Amino acid sequence: MSLLKVEGLSKSFKGLQVLKNVSLEVEPEERHIIIGPNGAGKTTLFNCITGVLPINEGTVSIQGKMIADLPSHTRVSEGMSRTFQKNNLFGKLTVEENVHLAVTARKSYRFKLFKSLLSYKDMQQESQDLLKEWDLWERRNQTVDELSYGEQRLVEIMLAIATKPTILLLDEPTSGMSPAETIQTTKLIQKLPRTISLLVIEHDMEVVFSIADRITVLHHGEVFLSGKPEEIRNDQRVKDIYFGGGALQRAEA
Amino acid sequence: MKKMIFPAAIAVLLLILPVMLTSYGIKLTAEVFIMSIFVLSLGLITGYAGLVSLGHAAFFGIGAYTIALLGKFVPNTFVLLASAIIFAALIALLTGFLFIRSSGAYFLMITLAFSQMLYAVAYKLKGVTGGSDGMSVAASLDFGFGPISGSMGLYYVMAVSVMICYVLLRMFINSPAGKAIIGVKENESRMRALGYSVRSYKLLAYTISGGIAGYAGGLYAFYNYFVSPDTLNWNFSGQVLVMIIIGGVGTLFGPPIGAAVFVILQNYISSYTERWPMIMGVIFVAFVLYGRGGIANLLLLAWRKISRRQKEINSPALNSSEKISKDETKGVTEA
Amino acid sequence: MDLSILFVQIITGLAYGMLLFMIAAGLTIIFGLLSVVNLAHGALFMIGGYFTFTFINQHLNFWLALLISVILLAILGMLIERFLLNRMYGKELEQVLLTFGLIFIFTDLVKWIWGSSPKSISIPPLLDASLTIGVVTFPVYRLFVVVVGCAVALLLWYIESRTRIGAIVRAGVDDRHMLSSLGINFKLVFAGVFAFGAGMAGLSGGLGAPILGLYSGMDNDVLILSLVIVVIGGLKTWKGAFIGAILVGMVDTLGQVWFPSFSMVLIFALMVFILLIKPSGLFGKGVDA
Repeated sequence: MSLLKVEGLSKSFKGLQVLKNVSLEVEPEERHIIIGPNGAGKTTLFNCITGVLPINEGTVSIQGKMIADLPSHTRVSEGMSRTFQKNNLFGKLTVEENVHLAVTARKSYRFKLFKSLLSYKDMQQESQDLLKEWDLWERRNQTVDELSYGEQRLVEIMLAIATKPTILLLDEPTSGMSPAETIQTTKLIQKLPRTISLLVIEHDMEVVFSIADRITVLHHGEVFLSGKPEEIRNDQRVKDIYFGGGALQRAEA
Repeated sequence: MKKMIFPAAIAVLLLILPVMLTSYGIKLTAEVFIMSIFVLSLGLITGYAGLVSLGHAAFFGIGAYTIALLGKFVPNTFVLLASAIIFAALIALLTGFLFIRSSGAYFLMITLAFSQMLYAVAYKLKGVTGGSDGMSVAASLDFGFGPISGSMGLYYVMAVSVMICYVLLRMFINSPAGKAIIGVKENESRMRALGYSVRSYKLLAYTISGGIAGYAGGLYAFYNYFVSPDTLNWNFSGQVLVMIIIGGVGTLFGPPIGAAVFVILQNYISSYTERWPMIMGVIFVAFVLYGRGGIANLLLLAWRKISRRQKEINSPALNSSEKISKDETKGVTEA
Repeated sequence: MDLSILFVQIITGLAYGMLLFMIAAGLTIIFGLLSVVNLAHGALFMIGGYFTFTFINQHLNFWLALLISVILLAILGMLIERFLLNRMYGKELEQVLLTFGLIFIFTDLVKWIWGSSPKSISIPPLLDASLTIGVVTFPVYRLFVVVVGCAVALLLWYIESRTRIGAIVRAGVDDRHMLSSLGINFKLVFAGVFAFGAGMAGLSGGLGAPILGLYSGMDNDVLILSLVIVVIGGLKTWKGAFIGAILVGMVDTLGQVWFPSFSMVLIFALMVFILLIKPSGLFGKGVDA
């Protein structure tokens, strides 16, 4: 059974159809990348899958469980987690506090009223592991606002990982990063355990082809094509509408 | 251990303060304590949950009227104060459920309208509340060792109350729920994406805040022996919001400072001139223009400067003092 | 109840609603563009009334007195925006403190200058009559206020949909950054909008004085009702304010006839009811401000 299944999803704003009958699946352990020109509806699709936006038609399910009507925050306990295209963090809190919040989100004691959060050793341990893994341990006492853009991008992904998802949605994880940071982040994404399936929006073709098991091309709010990386790479129509021919060759080189 | 020195010093100061004060000063300080509790309660939702209410007097008034009305039948202080807290918290829970769907200016206006409605009810229900004449409080403060009526006794009750509230709130904002509430204020959409029920946390903060405000109102009824609809008026809510802003938003020690400054200024100025509202108004406006985010923030800036200088003097052993100032500043929002 | 009394009550309610509309519309327009809840709006209304009172006492005729008051209020609004409010944009708490402080200053000034005993203005002779249709007798002045309110609504509609200024303000409400990118002097627009809102409050205050009288605390009554209207009608829409004002004016007036003690409770119940059905108000777009 597919881990994440989207069927016939449509969404319109004020009569403007942004997504038309979109269907896609993410298999367990799969790394599925969504590409498409600007305005294709990629981020809207993410917002619909995660419940930030209500959908007009269609279904979304995780492991066969329908989630399209669940409030956004409860989808996290179904194993879904996401990052945002623009950094969406707790800027005035320290990196460590950011992680603490993310790790605590799925703990049973998240509603405890008077016991200090810092007294929970499991939370401390998990946070420490994450910070070290993502190379942010040295930065833990700085506020997120004080970090470089690339570091903030890492925090963005780290927070999403901290909720222990089975399906992780990454919205342009490397956008705005320097080439070096892009390489580092790509490596970190590659190193993620296969127990976390990925659905990723990405523009950088090198990143796309170094991660993807499957690629779906979204165009004008519709699924234009979906298939193995080689198929997409060699499809003339995709080259025409999207890459203008050039980007693919560069990625191949 | 070092962290405890400052609070302990404050506690000792509060306990020995009456020795240095006139009886009028003692009474005024007790009022400052009551207001401090009230301001702390509003500070919790304003400074930590980001909910700006202009109707918090509703819960203060509910607490006060609970003592006045119920006190006719039940003399027990514990029962009365517990009722004030529970009743106020319950109303906060119910109204919060409806109001918290909205935020920002909308929330501000709705809470204001709600408190004004309660004000109108208290004002018009002459048979029950005495209307605009208010009503006297029959019950007296008694914790099991005789009624407390002198200003000295009241002073200590209020002093202990404010310290307990402060400590409980300090514990609360460091708890998992408290941290989550701060997270909600900082970034709602991320909290939702992490799986937190944003509404539940706001409602939690609002309910706790309502309960504490009810407690403050209950204490006030005992302190003042008299309750009037003014305790429900939005003007009162506005004044309390002003106290928070003067003291410092997003801190726990700011609100009591704001309460003290406001109450003392008001008493001082009004003893000299009838035109005190205008002078207070000018002070508010000046404060907005030049206040830099409240007295607490100014103190923090000064404290950080001092500790930095200390750091330069004895540079090796700097970690602990830096840590304290960092901890204290975390909750502080921008000016 | 006697039918003619009922009709008079309806006209009274409508007239009150129109006075509230002029204030609430100013509030929502200011909020829509500047994102400021001007708590001092009720105080501006009150000052408008007292100004009109003073000019009439200087033997000016009612209309001239009203006109001068409106202009003075607009200037006052402009000064407030230019010297105080413009430093507070985006800072909600500071705005609350500032406008709250202004209430203290204005209400105390009014007490200082005019004393705390209630004042009244007599209805201008031209309109001091009643119109009898069949068995029902209408007070003409109240009818006139209703007409003015509708005229203001028409004017707002015209400005919003037919003029360049309206287009600029509409664009600014949707997206404030748009204004500067269009090369529009938004400082001028902001000051103008605030002055317009203050002028409307002044107009309402002057027009309302012969009906409501002048007393300390009137600013408060009017402010609360206007805020309720804004909540009911929805933020950022003067059309919502129009409907909301009629509703609130009627409920308040008729409520005081039937349930004298609980008109405020009725109004609040109305508000809760509307919020339950539509959390963003009757004409509101989003819940979040």
